[in-house]
This record gives sequence, structure tokens and C-alpha cells, in this order.
Amino acid sequence: MSRRRFQSGNMVLEAALWIPVMLLLIVGMIQFGRITYTYYALKKAVYAAARYVATQESVNFCPDSGDTAIQSAIQFAITGTPDGSGAASIANLTPDMFQVTTQCLDPTGVLTACDTSGCGAAAGARRPDFIVVSIPAGYPVQPRIPFITLDPIQLRPSVTVPFGGAT
Amino acid sequence: MSLPLLIILVPIVFAFMGFALDLGRLYLVRGELNQAANSAAIAAAQQLIGTDASLGNATTSADQVLAANTYNFGSIQIGASSGNLTSTINAPAYYAAVADAAQGSSTQADGATARHVTISLTADAPLLFWSLLPGGESRKTPIAAQAVAGVSAPLCSVCGVEPFAVQARDPSDTVNFGFGDPLGGQVFTFAYSCTGNPAPGPLAGTGIVVPYLILNRYDASNATADETQQLFRSGAAGVPASTGVNPTGSSVPLGCFAINDSVEVVWASAAPAACATRAVQSSVAAALCGMYSRFDTATQPNACVTSVTDFANLSASFAPDTDTTSGLADLYANYSGTGKRVITVAIVDTLAGNTLQTMTILGFRQFLVEPNSDGSFPDPGDLNGRFPVQYIGSPMPVKQGYVDDRFALACPAGQVGSGPGKVVLHQ
Repeated sequence: MSRRRFQSGNMVLEAALWIPVMLLLIVGMIQFGRITYTYYALKKAVYAAARYVATQESVNFCPDSGDTAIQSAIQFAITGTPDGSGAASIANLTPDMFQVTTQCLDPTGVLTACDTSGCGAAAGARRPDFIVVSIPAGYPVQPRIPFITLDPIQLRPSVTVPFGGAT
Repeated sequence: MSLPLLIILVPIVFAFMGFALDLGRLYLVRGELNQAANSAAIAAAQQLIGTDASLGNATTSADQVLAANTYNFGSIQIGASSGNLTSTINAPAYYAAVADAAQGSSTQADGATARHVTISLTADAPLLFWSLLPGGESRKTPIAAQAVAGVSAPLCSVCGVEPFAVQARDPSDTVNFGFGDPLGGQVFTFAYSCTGNPAPGPLAGTGIVVPYLILNRYDASNATADETQQLFRSGAAGVPASTGVNPTGSSVPLGCFAINDSVEVVWASAAPAACATRAVQSSVAAALCGMYSRFDTATQPNACVTSVTDFANLSASFAPDTDTTSGLADLYANYSGTGKRVITVAIVDTLAGNTLQTMTILGFRQFLVEPNSDGSFPDPGDLNGRFPVQYIGSPMPVKQGYVDDRFALACPAGQVGSGPGKVVLHQ
């Protein structure tokens, strides 16, 4: 009898040791999965925005042009609808997080930021060779692990696609 | 929980947890690689313009896109190595038919016939937990991605092309409209259409004069570019896209042209003049100045300074072609440029003699703008608006367009026999 009671006490002690470790592992795994999923979703979103812009016509690539096609592309990436009427697929993802930039090949074949000196005049921005969509400041994901406080992880997906539209 | 049970369960639980984690990451890596492969395939297909040099240009372009994209949470550049993780970009495979590309056929196409490209790459994904299990000792596993892109079927409507129209030399020849064999190096002198006699003579090195007109795409709503600048822009890089109203009243957007569009008219300020006066309208010179920028943006021809508003700044924002020397005696296959010198021209039934007559577009064909036979660039101030061209068929994909009969002009969707296509992603 006394031996049995000793065993049961041992089990409680074992459980007390194991449960936090297992809990940490399981929660950590779930958080890792959540971050992976969010990153993949964000990557899909920036790719969708980039491809949307890359197939548009008459896009004004001048800085701060507020071009409607670019705004529509970002809304499309966030909500799946160019006018932003659909439900957001990723919580707290806002249009101002996105950055759409352009890259051009210089005569030697090196990729550089496109020349925008023609902006505001008849020439306009140069027709880009590539569209780069990124989330430069990062989309914060807060890992939630009991009893441990971690800084939010900033996910910064970026994608480069060739421009196939007309300007 | 008894100890033996625990000993059995812990590895199993850990293995399943690791399986879930690693599998999630493998899917992420595969997604990132697929996106990169898709982008690279599109970039490569844009370079397939039917020249011997096009395959090299396409491969370079694909590599540039891949190098600009990353995988594994954006931490590893594709094509580069990081620690024990390596990624390999296989040489792109080029095919003439999309069926061959989809099946990965062993017979690849050369530069003249390549229309589709397959990009395949393999990258190592890191393994976290599987590495504890047998078979995962290398702590990584290769993941492959593949994408096929190519040139679509001939389009019913094309956008962002040059607003030039020539008359079909032989309307019954639906493939080449009487312009001859596209691979045969047929050269012509394009001269601006004029009325009466004497007809303009050919430029040196060419035999046949083909009259052309500028189709009206004047965008009255454009606030930044005046008419001369719009003409320059159309000659330099095709009609700019616009949400403005098409001045011809057609349902086709301002930046596009469509087969069977029967209301095309000549650009109002570029109406054909009498041949005897030997003086084209300054609007024609403005468009030819745009054409000139495909060869040279450093010098400023007098005709351009007078006929285009703010010519110097406008010209500087366009880059000339990388090959400005392949000439009238060279076949198109030997042209090594990026396609900047290729113009896509509407073939119409009959050229209009004045601004009121309408023209019907029969199709689109492409010509390579050539330097003169002495190597000088075509003079934008030519009194007959002449420049030498070589007929090349329709090897180069246009920037934008529609395969279907979008504008209800009775274009047989998917049935256009031949003409330029656009770049599409197949899978």
C-alpha cells in the first residue's frame, strides 16, 4: 500500500515536470505554424498585387502618384476585390503597409531603381522592367506562448515580377 | 503513465510534431519557388522574339528575376547557396509548341522558332525535426518547381503598339498580306501616303515603296503630353494606354487596335498631302522622331526640335535599342537587340486619302526598322516621311491584347490565323 502511494506521488511529480515542457513544445509548434501560414499568406498577397500591377495598362509609376491601378492592386491583394469591398483575408493588413516600386535594367543589364526624373512632365516615369512589391516595415506577428513575452516578429515578404503591361 | 509507454510515445509524438512543422515549411518553400519560377518564365517568354540572340536574352532575363526573388521566409536568394542549402537553376528549355513544353519533350527549339519556355529549379529546404529520423540526416531536402510560359494564340486586338497602318499588298494572302517570306529578309521603304504624283521613290538598298498612314489615337484628355508629344511617344514606344475616349468613336480602347475595326481614320493633323509638294505634315515628323529615339537619343535632329515640344527631355527618357547596326542586308534572325526596333503595324484594306475616309483593320504584322544602307539612322526630317524596314511576320509578342472578341467586332475568337500574340503563363 505504501509502495503504491509512493508510485502515485511519483507520477504527479513526473507530470508536473513534463506538462510544462510538452505545453511549451505544442504551443511553440502551433505558433511556428501560425507564422509560417501568415508568411505564406502575405507572400501570396504581395505576389497577387505585383501580378495585378504587372498586367495593367496606363499605370503612373511616379512616386506618390496615388495611381488607382496600384491602389486597386493592393486592395485586390488584401481583400480579393479591386475595390476593397470584400473581407480582408489577413487581419490588420492595411494598404499603407504595401510598397510598390519599379526596377529598370540599365544599358549594361544591371537592375536599378527606375528613372523618375520625367515625372510631372510629358515623358512620365520610364516604363519599368520589373515590379517589386514588399512590406518594408513588416507585418507584425505576436507569438503567444504562456508565461513568456516575446517581441512581435516582423514578416517582410517581397516579390519581383516582370512588368508585362503598357504604360 | 507508465515509463515504457512514455518511452514509446515520446518519439512518436515528437516525430509527428516534427512532421507537421517541416511539412508546413516545405509547402511554404514550394510556394515561394513556384512564384519565382512563374515570374521567371514570364520574363523569359517576353524575350522570345524569334531571333538567334533571343534565347540568350531570355535566359539572362529569367536569371535576373530568379536572383531578385528569395525563399525560406525570404532568407535565401534563389540560385545562391546558404550554408549547406543549395539551389540550382536548370537551363531554361525552349519549345516551339506548348504541348512539347508541357510534356518536357527532348526536342528543343532554336531562337527563330522558340515560342514557349520552361523554367525549372531545385532548391534545398531545411529540415528541423526530420533530421533526427533516419533518412533526414542531411538536414535538408530538395524541392523542385517548374513553370511554363509562352506566347499566346494570335490576338484579336493588340494594345500599346505603333499607330501605323499600311495597305495589304495582297489581301487574299492572309498569312503575309503579300509582303513575302518573313524569314527571307524582304526590305521595303515605308513612305508617308500622299495623293497624286509623283509617288515617293525608294531609299537606297530597298526596291518597293509601301505607303503608310498614322491612325488617329489623339488623346484630348491627356493633360501632360500635347499632340506632338503623344505622336513622339507613339513612335517611340507605341500608343500610351489611356482611359480617354477613342477619337474614332470605336468601342476599342484608345491604346488598342482590333481586327475588323472598320472606323479607323487617319490622325487629323497628319492627313496625306499632295505628293508634288514633298512635305509631310510636322505631325508625321513628330512620330518619326519617336522612331528615331529607338536608334539614338544623344543627338537632336533639327526636324525633331522644331516639331516636338520639349524634345530633348522627352527623348532622353527613352533608351535606344541595344542593336542599332544590323542593317538591310542582315536577316532578322541576326538582329541581336531586345525588340525595340520592331514595330507592330496594322494592315488595312485601303489607305484613306483624306481624314474622312475610314479604314478596316485586317490584321497586324511586324516590321524591323532598319538603318539606312550607309549605316546612318532614318532621317525624321525626310520630306516623304520615309524609313527602311524589313518584313518579319509576327514573331514578337505585343505588350497587351485580347485573344477573344472583346469589343464585339466579329473577330473569330482563337481563330485568327496568324499575327502577334502576347505573353501568357501556361501553368
